[in-house]
Amino acid sequence: MRFIIEHLSKHFEKKKVLCDIDFTFESGKIYGLLGRNGAGKTTLFNCLNRDMKADGGEFCLEMDGQRRSVAAEDIGYVLSTPTVPEFLTGREFLKFFIDIHEDKIQDIQGLDTYFDYIGISREDRDKLLKDYSHGMKNKMQMLVNIIARPNVLLLDEPLTSLDVVVAEEMKQLLRGLKEGRIIIFSTHIMDLALDLCDEIVLLNHGVLERVDKSNLNSQEFKEKILSALA
Amino acid sequence: MNKTFKIAFSLKNTYRVNTILYSLKQIPLIKRILPQELYCDPDLKIFANILSGIWEFIKAFLGKFLYFLLMITLEVSLYRTEAQSAVFLHIFVLLTLIGAWLNTYIFNPTKDKYYGLILLGMDAKEYALTTYAYEMLKILAGYLIFGLLFGRMHGLAVWQCLMLPFAAAGVKMTVVAYSLWDYERTKVAVNENEVGVIGWILIALALAAAYGLPVTGWEIPERASVCVLACWILLGALSVRKIWRFQEYREVYRQILTRHMVQMDEARQSVKRQSEKVIQIDGEVGSSRKGFEYLNEIFIRRHQKILWKSSKRIAGICLGIVCIVVMGIHFLPEWKEIVNHFVLRNLPYFVFIMYFVNRGTGFTNVLFMNCDHSLLTYSFYKRPECILRLFKIRLREIMKVNLLPAAVIGAGLALLLYLSGGTKEPLDYVVLVISILCISMFFSVHYLTIYYLLQPYNAGTEIKSGTYRVVVTGTYFVCYGVMRMDVPTLVFGMGTVVFCVAYCMIACVLVYKLAPKTFRLRA
Ligand SMILES: Nc1ncnc2c1ncn2[C@@H]1O[C@H](COP(=O)(O)OP(=O)(O)OP(=O)(O)O)[C@@H](O)[C@H]1O
Ligand SMILES: [Mg+2]
Repeated sequence: MRFIIEHLSKHFEKKKVLCDIDFTFESGKIYGLLGRNGAGKTTLFNCLNRDMKADGGEFCLEMDGQRRSVAAEDIGYVLSTPTVPEFLTGREFLKFFIDIHEDKIQDIQGLDTYFDYIGISREDRDKLLKDYSHGMKNKMQMLVNIIARPNVLLLDEPLTSLDVVVAEEMKQLLRGLKEGRIIIFSTHIMDLALDLCDEIVLLNHGVLERVDKSNLNSQEFKEKILSALA
Repeated sequence: MNKTFKIAFSLKNTYRVNTILYSLKQIPLIKRILPQELYCDPDLKIFANILSGIWEFIKAFLGKFLYFLLMITLEVSLYRTEAQSAVFLHIFVLLTLIGAWLNTYIFNPTKDKYYGLILLGMDAKEYALTTYAYEMLKILAGYLIFGLLFGRMHGLAVWQCLMLPFAAAGVKMTVVAYSLWDYERTKVAVNENEVGVIGWILIALALAAAYGLPVTGWEIPERASVCVLACWILLGALSVRKIWRFQEYREVYRQILTRHMVQMDEARQSVKRQSEKVIQIDGEVGSSRKGFEYLNEIFIRRHQKILWKSSKRIAGICLGIVCIVVMGIHFLPEWKEIVNHFVLRNLPYFVFIMYFVNRGTGFTNVLFMNCDHSLLTYSFYKRPECILRLFKIRLREIMKVNLLPAAVIGAGLALLLYLSGGTKEPLDYVVLVISILCISMFFSVHYLTIYYLLQPYNAGTEIKSGTYRVVVTGTYFVCYGVMRMDVPTLVFGMGTVVFCVAYCMIACVLVYKLAPKTFRLRA
């Protein structure tokens, strides 16, 4: 499966944020999206998730050589500021989510299994989500996105608010998930990107470009990225 | 000095110009015409500058004119005493005293001060003195003109009228000088907008004295008022020195402005917190429902208070009013005809009443703040069939919430009609009840529809859509217009039923066609 973006562009007032982006993502890989503050990473994700109308361009999925347009359920999006319905408890949110996706999820397990999997402790499961900490909300958002098994998973600066242990677990989890899907992951932490991602993509001056890692050691690679961004 | 004033003035002007441009951008039709590079278009800038200038002028003169007219002259002429000049001075003295406390200019934290002093680091003392001098000049000019005009109208001597502007400026400066002196002592600068409970009580007392005492036939004797004015002029003259000599404007502003900015931030956050606060924790009753019905049931249960409380309260009040009228009819037979006539002729009034009784905007507001705001970021939630499923469920809920008061009003009217002598046309009863229910349904559908079609909130939960504002305001005026129609109940009732049913059908079709595209988060 491939996720193809063609001629995607977006501007605010006079400022061109995305200029005619052409890029192809391939399944089974984690892409690390790096870019300066204000480069347009969040804007790109918002356009891909159709939260924001792009000025022009298309994106589609190519499966077995057949192109088809992207449906809403193909995309999972974890925002940098976690957003969960505050009036539900963690358990209720999960139940609601699974109810909705009943026919799509293959092996539905007990709710507690999922909580165990993501590491939310027993006493927190029946608390209102408004009383969850930033990191816990982030986990919940991640969890439902993982359960839905979208073909493309967009993660906008996750892991930044997670504690070291959870961040490590989450990395493991993402590695386990990447089979058969595309994970695009924006971050400012270069070491995280280098450690976790199979490909590094830079968003710079409104275009996406892949950074070739071949026969460079990690220090040289870092310098290459830095000089490309500067 | 001159330069500081120029910068300060142009800063204030720029801020205002940008506010004007921003507001222009919010108006749906005008938005289209406006060029993209709004903030640097020279023609528009000039236009906005002119508006800004006019605004400054209006504030200086029209404001004072209205003040004299509405706050003083109007009241003085109400009292019809011989001593008009004394009453005029009485009210003027007390109001000016309040104004001096509430409007010091120096201690008013405004955005342009924040930009100039904190962000641009302008010289605080020069800034304070020049802008303050400008404000005082505006006061002198405004009070001079209108003081003379209105003062002469009420029989003040010219020399008395001439005292007014200087006394007003004097007392303002006295308050400022006192505050500065107080700051030197305590090192705490008091924001003029933080009045406190005692302050408000004093203000209320002063207001009561200003307008209440003349009713009882007592006012400050004219001589005494003139003495007070003279004192203020004197004190003002002395205060100039203090204001001029004071050295710590920088610290004063820093205190007021940073505290103010923190408060503004908190206010912004508290909107979010406020909407979270309305979530009630319940006794964890499980639910047998699934999917969206499950979501809806929990939502309604956790927001019981905010959704149902006012609806129940309104129903209770309406019930009370009906009871009172029923008793009135019983004991005072002459009410009968009035009530009968009212019910049979004035159904249009109830459109307006139903408009106020309706909880539609409150409902959509909570829906967005506590539910859609977050769930709209999930892709499944945006699938057309899900949006429509939930729309149906919500329509049902909002109708239920609004139905309670509507049922009470409808049944109450029918009852009153019956008790007040009834009608020749039995159909009137039916039409009365059904049309009230239809109006209620109409508002429910209306608010939910415009919410789904315009989705006015942005992720920061502010209302961003100008169109939405226009539609909501338009709704008000239409209802107001309808109220003034003079049509018999039967005709009007039939008309509303037809209109409401047609509207609801059209609205639902529109939502089904368009909502999957329009029901999105706004960037
Ligand atoms: N709603 C908006 N209206 C106007 N301009 C916007 C809007 N959203 C983003 N921008 C502009 O688009 C540019 C890209 O913003 P974006 O949030 O996508 O950057 P980012 O790469 O996510 O940055 P960061 O690393 O800081 O999160 C910025 O210059 C920003 O000012
Ligand atoms: Mg971002």
